[in-house]
Amino acid sequence: MKMTIDHPASGLRRKSVKLSTRYGVLGALLIAPSILLFCIVIIYPLVSAIYLSLFSIYTPTLQGRWVGLGNYAQLISGREFWPSLWNNLVWTIGTLSLQVFFGVGLALLLHQNIVFRSLARSLVLFPYFVSTVVAVLIWRWLFNDLYGVLNHVMLIAGLIDMPLDWLGSMPNAMISVILVGAWKYFPFVVISVLARLQTIPEHLYEAASMDGAGWWARFWDVTMPQLREVLAVVILLRAIWDFKEFDLIYLMTGGGPVTSTQTLPLLVYKQAFALNEMGGASAIAVVMMLIMLAFMILYMRDPRPAEGK
Amino acid sequence: MNLVAWTVVFVVAFPLLWMILTSVKQQSELFQIPPTFLPEMITFEHYFTLINETPFLTYFRNSLVIALATTCVVIVIATLGAHSLARFSFPGRERLAQLVLFTYLLPSVVLIIPLYLLMVQLGIANTLFSLTLAYTTFALPFALWLLRSFMLGIPQDLEAAALVDGASRMEAFFDVILPQALPGIISTALFSFILAWNEYLYAMVLVTTEEIRPLTTGVMNMLITSYNIEWSLLMAASVMMSLPVIVGFALLQKQLTRGFGAGGVKG
Repeated sequence: MKMTIDHPASGLRRKSVKLSTRYGVLGALLIAPSILLFCIVIIYPLVSAIYLSLFSIYTPTLQGRWVGLGNYAQLISGREFWPSLWNNLVWTIGTLSLQVFFGVGLALLLHQNIVFRSLARSLVLFPYFVSTVVAVLIWRWLFNDLYGVLNHVMLIAGLIDMPLDWLGSMPNAMISVILVGAWKYFPFVVISVLARLQTIPEHLYEAASMDGAGWWARFWDVTMPQLREVLAVVILLRAIWDFKEFDLIYLMTGGGPVTSTQTLPLLVYKQAFALNEMGGASAIAVVMMLIMLAFMILYMRDPRPAEGK
Repeated sequence: MNLVAWTVVFVVAFPLLWMILTSVKQQSELFQIPPTFLPEMITFEHYFTLINETPFLTYFRNSLVIALATTCVVIVIATLGAHSLARFSFPGRERLAQLVLFTYLLPSVVLIIPLYLLMVQLGIANTLFSLTLAYTTFALPFALWLLRSFMLGIPQDLEAAALVDGASRMEAFFDVILPQALPGIISTALFSFILAWNEYLYAMVLVTTEEIRPLTTGVMNMLITSYNIEWSLLMAASVMMSLPVIVGFALLQKQLTRGFGAGGVKG
């Protein structure tokens, strides 16, 4: 067996059991493959995107010419960027609100002692782990105007008297997409909140009950403050992931009808591969990232409200 | 309370249930108005059609290969990397940990363009290798994050004891840390597999030939481009595509909820 360079006993002498962390070289070596991969496939594309946005590039041949900030000027004054940005905001805020509302709600429900609780928890997690393709296929089948079961159920219930066109007209299309997004991603909120709920000490609730607090007061004054930190992180993550969501919207509506559900990621894709303008697409992508960066900075600087009343 | 909870669970799980039911209904039954709930007669004909008359199996094989390869690569790199992030100190360590999180916030549409160009230049576009490489890029940050959380939670006593006995850091890693981190490694492997299995955008941009096409783009392509959308086949395909997820879930139920929560919430 090899002897270590540093005498292990010296590390032990300092505290109960703290390993010496001075193996800088070995540590750096172990993380090197990760860093290498990062540089190749994340840093490089990132820098490239910024670089590419300064050119006008024809996608199939990858021939380009310098246009400087021309792409940016074009997208700001153009007619597709702003509506797409608006759609993106509507989609993000819409689906995020539902995700948080139902996520917290279900976490509270699944925290109770119900029968077959772990089965219930697993079932609730399914939408998140199933492929977007599968989710879209199922929902498009459910939304089908003639044979879809959703229209059928609503007709029977008397909620509507003619089959709805869920995906082909507005505002139905945006609402449908928001609903499917909520269904697909709310389990993320459920897991995170549930994990936190399980660490809230019982005695806090007991104390509140003894002070005469009803269930709403217990929720608002005991549970919510405890959830604040988790929710802050969860909302940030989901906001960013929802904002940049491509697969779901693209596969559900393709951005349609016309461009009513086209969000920025879809616009980037369209520019790059349908309109064959890769430089322009990169410019939109860069602007997207700047928006998200601005959001992150503002969000993290926001002073959190003080706990309790 | 039970009733409320299970009603909600039923509503959430209903689409998946409907997927399974539709896949075993006879073709004619699908297009009845009003639609039936339970199948009048259960048939597996759609599954047979799928396997025998479409390139489904090719897609399945491709997805399997890519997902397995990605998982192996990611686990190897991430385990070593997480060990480094959790146990060693070197300049820039904290910065790296933050960078890991940051990369996760980049839109894939941003990365896809230069990545596509890179693959073309390297001459590996349209290969299983290119997809594996691409998938590794977004599975890796997540794996590092998860595994680092796990490893930070492993007490240092055993390692220290091994070092006292004369083991080197790497030997301590293999003999002490790996076995302890095994549940975390398994969870992370499963997550990585699922991420790779479900990926659509990268598959769409980086692969244009039939033989390499994975399930996600294959299924969408195969059935939506035909004039009549064959819902029965689509639902059967969906069920089969969800198999790894269902299997993984059944095996690792508890681990998933615990592991995911720990990695996602703690810093």
